[in-house]
Amino acid sequence: MELSLHQKKRIRQGIIFMALLIFTIVWLLPVFGAVLTSIRTMDDIMDNGFWSLPEAVTFKNFATAWSEGNLNTYLKNSFIITIPSLIGTLALSSLVGFALAKYKFKGNMFIYLMFVAGMLIPFQILLIPVFRLSNYLGIYNNYWGLIMIHTVFQMGFCSFFLRNYMITIPEELSEAARIDGASEFKIFYKIYLPLSLPAIAALATLEFTWIFNDYIWALVLLRDDRLKPVTAGLATLQGNFITSWSVLVAGAILATIPTVVVFVFLQKYFIRGLTMGSGK
Amino acid sequence: MKRKYIPWAFLSIPLTFYSIWVIGPTIYTMYLSLTEWDGMTAPEFQGIDNYLKLFNDPIFYTSLVNNIKWLVIFMAIPVVVGLFLAILLSKEIKWARGYKAAIYSPMILAPVVIGLIWSWIYQPQGGLLNNTLTYIGLEGLTRGWLSNPNTALYAVIGAAVWRHTGYVMLLFLSGLTAISPTVIEASRIDGASAWQRFRYIILPLLKPTTVIVIVITMIQSLRAFDFVSMMTRGGPFNSTNVLAHYMYTEAFKNYNMGYGASIAVVLFAIMFIFIVMYLRQIRKGELE
Amino acid sequence: MNFKNLSLIVITLLMVMVLSFSAAAQDTLVVNTYTSDPAPRKAMKELVAQYEEMNPDVDVELNITAHEDFKQAIRVWLTSDNPPDVFSWFAGNRAGYFVDRGLVMDITDVWEEENFYEKFPKAFQSISVYDGKAYFLPHNYYWWSVFYRESIFEEYGLEEPQTWDEFLEVGETLKENGITPFAIGTKFRWTAAAFFDYFDMRINGAKFHKDLMAGKIPFTDDRVADVFEKWKYLIENDYFIENAAAYSWQEALQFLNSGDAAMYLMGQFILDATSEEVSKDLDFFRFPIIDKEVPVAEDLPTDGFMIPKKAPHPELAKDFIAFLGSVEGQRLFAEDLGRLVTNKNMDAEVYDGLTLKGREMIDNTDELAQFYDRDMDPELADKTMDSLMAFWYAPENYRNIMEEMEAHRQNFIND
Repeated sequence: MELSLHQKKRIRQGIIFMALLIFTIVWLLPVFGAVLTSIRTMDDIMDNGFWSLPEAVTFKNFATAWSEGNLNTYLKNSFIITIPSLIGTLALSSLVGFALAKYKFKGNMFIYLMFVAGMLIPFQILLIPVFRLSNYLGIYNNYWGLIMIHTVFQMGFCSFFLRNYMITIPEELSEAARIDGASEFKIFYKIYLPLSLPAIAALATLEFTWIFNDYIWALVLLRDDRLKPVTAGLATLQGNFITSWSVLVAGAILATIPTVVVFVFLQKYFIRGLTMGSGK
Repeated sequence: MKRKYIPWAFLSIPLTFYSIWVIGPTIYTMYLSLTEWDGMTAPEFQGIDNYLKLFNDPIFYTSLVNNIKWLVIFMAIPVVVGLFLAILLSKEIKWARGYKAAIYSPMILAPVVIGLIWSWIYQPQGGLLNNTLTYIGLEGLTRGWLSNPNTALYAVIGAAVWRHTGYVMLLFLSGLTAISPTVIEASRIDGASAWQRFRYIILPLLKPTTVIVIVITMIQSLRAFDFVSMMTRGGPFNSTNVLAHYMYTEAFKNYNMGYGASIAVVLFAIMFIFIVMYLRQIRKGELE
Repeated sequence: MNFKNLSLIVITLLMVMVLSFSAAAQDTLVVNTYTSDPAPRKAMKELVAQYEEMNPDVDVELNITAHEDFKQAIRVWLTSDNPPDVFSWFAGNRAGYFVDRGLVMDITDVWEEENFYEKFPKAFQSISVYDGKAYFLPHNYYWWSVFYRESIFEEYGLEEPQTWDEFLEVGETLKENGITPFAIGTKFRWTAAAFFDYFDMRINGAKFHKDLMAGKIPFTDDRVADVFEKWKYLIENDYFIENAAAYSWQEALQFLNSGDAAMYLMGQFILDATSEEVSKDLDFFRFPIIDKEVPVAEDLPTDGFMIPKKAPHPELAKDFIAFLGSVEGQRLFAEDLGRLVTNKNMDAEVYDGLTLKGREMIDNTDELAQFYDRDMDPELADKTMDSLMAFWYAPENYRNIMEEMEAHRQNFIND
């Protein structure tokens, strides 16, 4: 009896394992396609088609993408833009999330809706107004123009996200702290923020990919190539008439490396944040 | 400090920034929707003309219907598949980390490359999809997926679903890790079946995450833009156009900022109604 | 109070931001171009290097933006307080658009000083000079024609057709041998517009064509019906590859490469896109003559440069423009890119092979056009190209398509 249950479980696990394996392989086919494209020459693609096996494997595309796409400059710029925006938006949004989750006051619902509305705006339509604003403030063609719009625009979603998370934190915790004489800011800083870490980590992962992958804001708010993020570098690898697909894809693969690193890093943080949370 | 000022103290700085960079430009956009403007010279006020034009514009309706199809498919496939995968992979399964990484991988690939590769998957001759169909004997189903106005939209959504599922899974995974395993273990000991555990324990506990997932999914499907712009630019003859893309084309390619703004305002209003209705529903639940 | 501390920190941050605004001013010439294709990108970079070498005290910052994005970004640049000094742009309606809105600088003085009125063929003045003032510097151009695989033509004993009947014979022979006459990828529509341009110019002539593009003639005109009739014949008789709309023009090249298709109506840049082996096998002929009475016209898209009105360094910019109009400033584009250039004094030796043939073809051309979406108002072009795609799917409905195009024209006139 005990054994057959064990066997049943093993068979079931085996099936799940196989199904997952096949699913994942199919899921990854487009990624394989990308890798395949990046390691062959354009002539090879043109002569044999996109889904044929390469005649010869070459890594030259990566070198070309790196130099033609100016990826070293662009990657640096991407970080200069993404990291402050990420920190800024998380910091400001956690203040909003806290205020909206913790206090009942007149206007709470209105402000909550305002942030919700902010994440619904089809942002493309703000391009020109925000460009004019940046131009007026003198931060056009400057990192700050981009950092500011990312920081502020992403607040809509982040505030919504964090408010919904923080509202689940029990009120008793802050009551206890208040009795101990903690200030409201201390309650935010010492209780809510640490308890929200898993949520913030998840949010940071999402936001990182969003801000890092932005291209349109950079296109409109920057004039000079030397300031542009890596997405712009990839875009210039697309021609008007002719695009070297293999170089473009190789460039895109190179550009994902930092994101992969961030993912791995944040995943660890996720788990740490979690253990902190459950240790309460 | 007086107690009633406390929340405002927390809100003051974020709200200042938010007013300047988001609310101001949004109000300006609403004003622009009442003007005719090329984006360069001075806007010319013309009242509600843009809206009148919009409500008689067949492309607007095509795009709106496409957005709704997009929304329905996005609610059905990535949310369900993402949740399923998250639950499966939150268990101790061999290579779970590897699977997770594989399923996120579309999130980190540049959208332009996703668009390119998926176009090749759909290619009528020598494309991966048609080749596979031929190979398994379904040759009758092969077609030019992106050139056929009846399938093009679904083909584009397919690529978007591929990317979005990773996001959904990520969010559900983070929600699941927050659920204490002892609760689930307890119900297992009580003899609850897998489905019962899912329906009565996991799903209610996942509710906060589900709200976020649904809201993100709504936004992503109503704001859909990237894949349309890369894979079809709305073609063949607008069969894959969606509101965000139509707005962009009007505002930026055809120099009709005013008209583009009116599309944006309508799109915004639609989303706002949807989301507010949904959130009210949720709040009712919270109060009960 | 902790709030105060936090506010202080944020305010300090704000101050730092405000102070960092002033980082922009340097004395370099900023040139923004859309030369993002691999070969033109290289040529443009080398051209800038050449200019810097000639002017050691000038530093040029070249910014290359992908073509579609460039078209959007340019409006922002032109209205900002800090535009580039020089930007690349398209001749025709698109250049006129900025001139009308007073966003670009009058460069008549450069034209006069450098005597471009004499150095460029007359045809380029009409696209550069508005109300007696020059705003545009035409730099290089390329021709459109029917490119074909020589080896395939040889195999079936075909010769370059000159007239419509000869062309149809070629087409029939190819089809009999299982080869599709034309490769085409219409995903982004303009490849289809090229057929409209050519049928219209061959049947109705350049004068009519230009007026039609300018929105002066109704699309319901019977002469437009003639265009669709001819085009319809090709579509209905399988002259084009199947599912053309599934491909971008570059993706559709695979049919030419594999020999499944024999011809491609395309611009000269096709030579940069095919593999070396196929490139060598490509030749071209003029789009066949349909009506001998009609003066011969060709699409000749011209790229050039302009200076924004608010350019920070107008003197440097004008000097650079003068250089771009000179033989030296054009040689690279002719020699390495195989483009045709505007300066008549360019030594004939720089052109070789097909470029020479292209130049000869143009010398024997009576009238020039730019291209469908370069001659037409952007919105009208966008809307009517959708109609052309609808025509492609249901060519028998061309009367409805004409009505639809006319409706778009009416909107355009009323705006």
